[in-house]
Amino acid sequence: MRLGPRPGERIDRSDEVTFTFRGKPVKAFGGDTIGSALFASGQRIFSRSFKYHRPRGLLCCSGHCPNCMMTVDGEPNVRVCVEPVREGARVKPQNVRWWLNWDLMAVTDKIGGPFTPVGFYYRTMIRPRRAWPLFERFLRSAAGLGRVDKHAGRKRRFDTENRHVDVLVIGGGRSGVEAARQAQIRGEDVVLVDEGPEPVERLGFPVLWPARAIGIYEGNLVPVEAGSTLVRFRAKHIVVATGALEQPLLFPGNDLVGVMLPGGARRMIELWSLRPGRRAVVLAGDDRALALAGELEAAGTEVVRVVDLRREQLREIEAWGRYGRLESVSLDGETIACDLLLASGARQPAYSLLAQAGARVEYDAKRGIFVPADLPDGIEAVGAVTGRVGRVAVTPATFNGASRTDKCFACICEDVTDKDMKRAIAEGFDSLELAKRYTTVTMGPCQGKLCHLPSIRLYARETETDEATIGTTTARPPWAPVSLGLLAGRPHEPAKRTSMHDRHKDLGARMMWTGAWRRPHSYGDPEAEAKVVHDSLGLIDVSTLGKLLVRGPDAAAFLERLYPNRFADLKVDRIRYGVLGTDGGRVMDDGTIARLDEELFYVTTTSTGANTVIEWFDWWNAVWGFGVETTNVTGALAAVNLAGPNSRELLGRLTDLDVSNEALKYLDAKRAQVAGVPCLVLRIGFVGELGYELHFPSPHAEYLWDTLLGEGADLGIRPFGLEAQRILRLEKQHILVGQDTDSESNPLEAGMPWLVKWEKDDFVGKWALEHVRERGPREQLVGFELAEGLGSVPAEGGQIVVDGKPGGRVTSARWSPQLGRPIGLAWVPSRLAHEGAEITIKMNGGFEQGRVRLKPFFDPDGGQLRS
Amino acid sequence: MKDVFRVQRMWRPRAKLRRRYDVVIVGGGAHGLATAYYLAKTHGITDVAVLEKSYIGSGAAGRNTTIIRANYRTPQGAEFYKESLRLYEGLSVELDFNLLFSQQGHLTLAHSDRGLITATERAEVNQLLGIDSRLVYPDEIAGLCPEINLSQDATWPIVGALYHPPGGIIRHDAVVWGYARGADRGGVEIHPYTEVTGIERSNGRVTGVRTNRGEVEADVVISCTAGWSTLVCDLAGVPLPITTHILQAFVTEPIKPFLDVIIVSSQMHVYISQTDRGEILIGAEIEPYTTYKGQSTFPFVEYSARHTLELFPQLEPVKVLRQWTGLCDLSPDYSPILGETEVENFHVSAGWGTYGFKAAPIVGTTLAELVATGRTPKLIAPFALERFYTDTLVSELAAAAVSH
Repeated sequence: MRLGPRPGERIDRSDEVTFTFRGKPVKAFGGDTIGSALFASGQRIFSRSFKYHRPRGLLCCSGHCPNCMMTVDGEPNVRVCVEPVREGARVKPQNVRWWLNWDLMAVTDKIGGPFTPVGFYYRTMIRPRRAWPLFERFLRSAAGLGRVDKHAGRKRRFDTENRHVDVLVIGGGRSGVEAARQAQIRGEDVVLVDEGPEPVERLGFPVLWPARAIGIYEGNLVPVEAGSTLVRFRAKHIVVATGALEQPLLFPGNDLVGVMLPGGARRMIELWSLRPGRRAVVLAGDDRALALAGELEAAGTEVVRVVDLRREQLREIEAWGRYGRLESVSLDGETIACDLLLASGARQPAYSLLAQAGARVEYDAKRGIFVPADLPDGIEAVGAVTGRVGRVAVTPATFNGASRTDKCFACICEDVTDKDMKRAIAEGFDSLELAKRYTTVTMGPCQGKLCHLPSIRLYARETETDEATIGTTTARPPWAPVSLGLLAGRPHEPAKRTSMHDRHKDLGARMMWTGAWRRPHSYGDPEAEAKVVHDSLGLIDVSTLGKLLVRGPDAAAFLERLYPNRFADLKVDRIRYGVLGTDGGRVMDDGTIARLDEELFYVTTTSTGANTVIEWFDWWNAVWGFGVETTNVTGALAAVNLAGPNSRELLGRLTDLDVSNEALKYLDAKRAQVAGVPCLVLRIGFVGELGYELHFPSPHAEYLWDTLLGEGADLGIRPFGLEAQRILRLEKQHILVGQDTDSESNPLEAGMPWLVKWEKDDFVGKWALEHVRERGPREQLVGFELAEGLGSVPAEGGQIVVDGKPGGRVTSARWSPQLGRPIGLAWVPSRLAHEGAEITIKMNGGFEQGRVRLKPFFDPDGGQLRS
Repeated sequence: MKDVFRVQRMWRPRAKLRRRYDVVIVGGGAHGLATAYYLAKTHGITDVAVLEKSYIGSGAAGRNTTIIRANYRTPQGAEFYKESLRLYEGLSVELDFNLLFSQQGHLTLAHSDRGLITATERAEVNQLLGIDSRLVYPDEIAGLCPEINLSQDATWPIVGALYHPPGGIIRHDAVVWGYARGADRGGVEIHPYTEVTGIERSNGRVTGVRTNRGEVEADVVISCTAGWSTLVCDLAGVPLPITTHILQAFVTEPIKPFLDVIIVSSQMHVYISQTDRGEILIGAEIEPYTTYKGQSTFPFVEYSARHTLELFPQLEPVKVLRQWTGLCDLSPDYSPILGETEVENFHVSAGWGTYGFKAAPIVGTTLAELVATGRTPKLIAPFALERFYTDTLVSELAAAAVSH
């Protein structure tokens, strides 16, 4: 029913757009929404309701109510009343079995009512227990609205933008525009956002339209949905001008197609030049609704009756219809034929954003609405949202249901009737929060916008209290539903790569994650790589190690107090292994500490522990007030470990440093040029063979990597990955913190009691460790090996079984090519923590016997490392 | 069936608070009400008052993400939750109230070999204790959850998962109401809007509580106040090694059945299920900072949305409807603190982190037994508050946080 051209209409009649509805083409104009175009094409039923599958038509035309939700181009639950038309869009109804006008599920409305009162599912389908999954499957398939295409991928591109402004105005009505104008006059940086559908008056300040503020979060953060862009506003000052929302009246048949909110009808006429109906009855709760009568007449709708509810109290309203469409209304017994019933109670301030921000909500008995109070600093409310605009008037009762011929809906999203609410109260759900959870009133897609106030009214009436006593439920973000796609933004997860990353790729490495790092798992054959380290020479990228410089006059004292072992007596150019503990004496991280000079230490951490360690250092430094500075050089420096019997030979070729065993001893740290690159050379041996860690500025990484591989070619050099390193370190029983230890492991039980220097005055966790020492060890981390013939390796995480019960666990296990048998580390009860003890390991679906080994499997005395 | 037509009161109308009860339970959530229920039903102890400062189920019981499972890491935890799961399975019938327990299965995804180790450990412990739990690999995951993105091009490719077929989701409010109705019918008094403001002691023994509605004498007082445990126990002079954090969650608009298994990824700090109403329910790990301020945050929805779409890109157009926040009591070892305290007859259920709701039936049974017999049941002995003095912690945390 399109009217002739009207001034101010949003549609552009010269711009024809066609989309399909159920596969059939629908013609529309530019500026139309899918909803307005469908209405113009004669469609009146837009959806079927959640529970009873009752026909529903356009109600609010502002994107707030659930009545027009359809599936558009595969996107479920689209409010088509505000969704702009797009050429070729495919629009389908949803939650319907068959077709909108003939929905098979509507049987639940006709006969299901008495069988399915509120909460019926809590009282039925309990016995027999076996049958419940069948019932449940039916319930699940009946619930839900739109359908998601299970095979779709991400389709749209979303972006995120951050903006800082002096003033953000939310809402582009008269008050919002005025507030923005004033801010602009004051010379402030102001932006106004408005969700539409009415256009905003432009007065020179920036306007985002249509754009919806999702919420007001801590720190005046206001995320705004602006098409495909999420704009995160941080505003010094927020002006909330979200206006007020018309509240439906409660009467039997109040959900019939043709019962509308006055604002909905006004938008149909003004924006899209549609005639909302032929014969209208208007039940007005305020002046705006009253004024609509004239507009309707001008649009060719015959207005047969106008009632100003503030002057004339109706005792009984009842709407009648056929096939879900309004045919007449009865007002105190007088029946009037009509196809349009515009009915509204008072307008309720849309205070949600303010409440989210921390404002209190109180009941204004004079106006009969809830209003915001005690606004937090930096937030202001203007216009209708304050609830203090316009003259005070007697609020019309929202509830006028008396005759019982049809259902009277308190909540159209969830199909909660007045009867349901009364029943819930009678059953004992006598507070609004309980009733909300039991009846699900206000929990549907409109977020309570159209049912919050009416349900509170109903409650007050039934429990014989007042609205103020009952209060409201908590306002929760978002203000309106917002898509996961918009919130997620572009698919983006950070990954860290070392400066040799591309070299690993070129060598065909299989990459794996360690924390946020990508590292080579292997270059094809981890066992062979491990063997090369034992036989000749291997090279591994260890740039992922956390690297810190600890500098200052108190540096030694600082480390001395942090670690359970000694650092004050560490000589310059020497290295010591350290395990960092928590206050509870638990193992937190480990690494090597090299003293570069009196006041400078170089600390390495595990690859994933760097950030925690830095925070830990800074925390204690602040607590103790030491003269220490910590600098994170993890990214600045790359590192490789050159390991194997031939490593000295290769290093000697590339540096002037005396690399003899006498000049560069095990656990020595020296600064030297290696192949012309300034390096810190650390002689340590995580993998058990003679080896040198080279730490150097990252930009030289590819060059040094290439040089080492090139110059070492004749020495049999080969790169090795993390997997080979794991085999090698296990042969030495070197632990991996976080794998071999958990959040409760302490160094005493984790096989490192020698690390703890009791004679020190204090160190972090000393008190707790003393307790452990007193109570004695209960379980211990030990090495174990399996019989030589056994080809398979126990799973990491596998269980040590004692008396048929879990008694311990395997934390690491590998097949050692060097030893020709499976080896590992495991936590076992202390009585089994002695050399040669037999342990039972659950593996291969059965049990295998292992033997405890307390000394490293390879080079138990460390001769290899020191030679 | 006739019950459907008849309007029956769930519980008696609010009554006057008497001056004395044998047992006062502080906290009208799932734990408090369950304890009251089993006290009355199993042990015939009916002179019991449950005091709740707001409405029943207003705290963690009504804010959690309703996942029930038993696939814990420690033998102590696994045995405890195994019993809880068993009780949950029979609870609808027991309470004659349909709790809509949907045992759709629970998948904890592993995205790295470290993740697989943790999954293996849990599977192995579970199997030894007779809990249905095992490792599955992408082929089988595809069958269990055809919608999930198993592509190796994902940022965090899925390499395996811990599969726990009896794991499920339940209607959390119904658990609260079912226990409340059962307790009420057993003679227990439930007092909403009754806040405990003090706990009286004499000679190291609890004697009663002060409330905003007057003083109440009691032989036994039990604190079941997740989120506020430290504050309530402070009233009794019992310090708890607990910090309080917020945990957030959100639901989307209802959609037709999409996901019939619970998905957890601790690597991505996200867990996802679909309720019987059709909403997709998404939660995350607890926030790292301590606070009582229950305000929802925006970064939480952003990263949870991002991680959800990594796993289920199809959900891109689905809209978030509502987000909320709850409080979690975190103990140092991620295991609960349950049973007796140094104050005689003052018992506590606290420190549940993100695991409390799953334990309601077994907490109720064991605490009721403790009150009735004066002896700590074996099942909860490992969770005694004393363990922080004897250093016998039960590390549920593993290396990385694995919760929900």
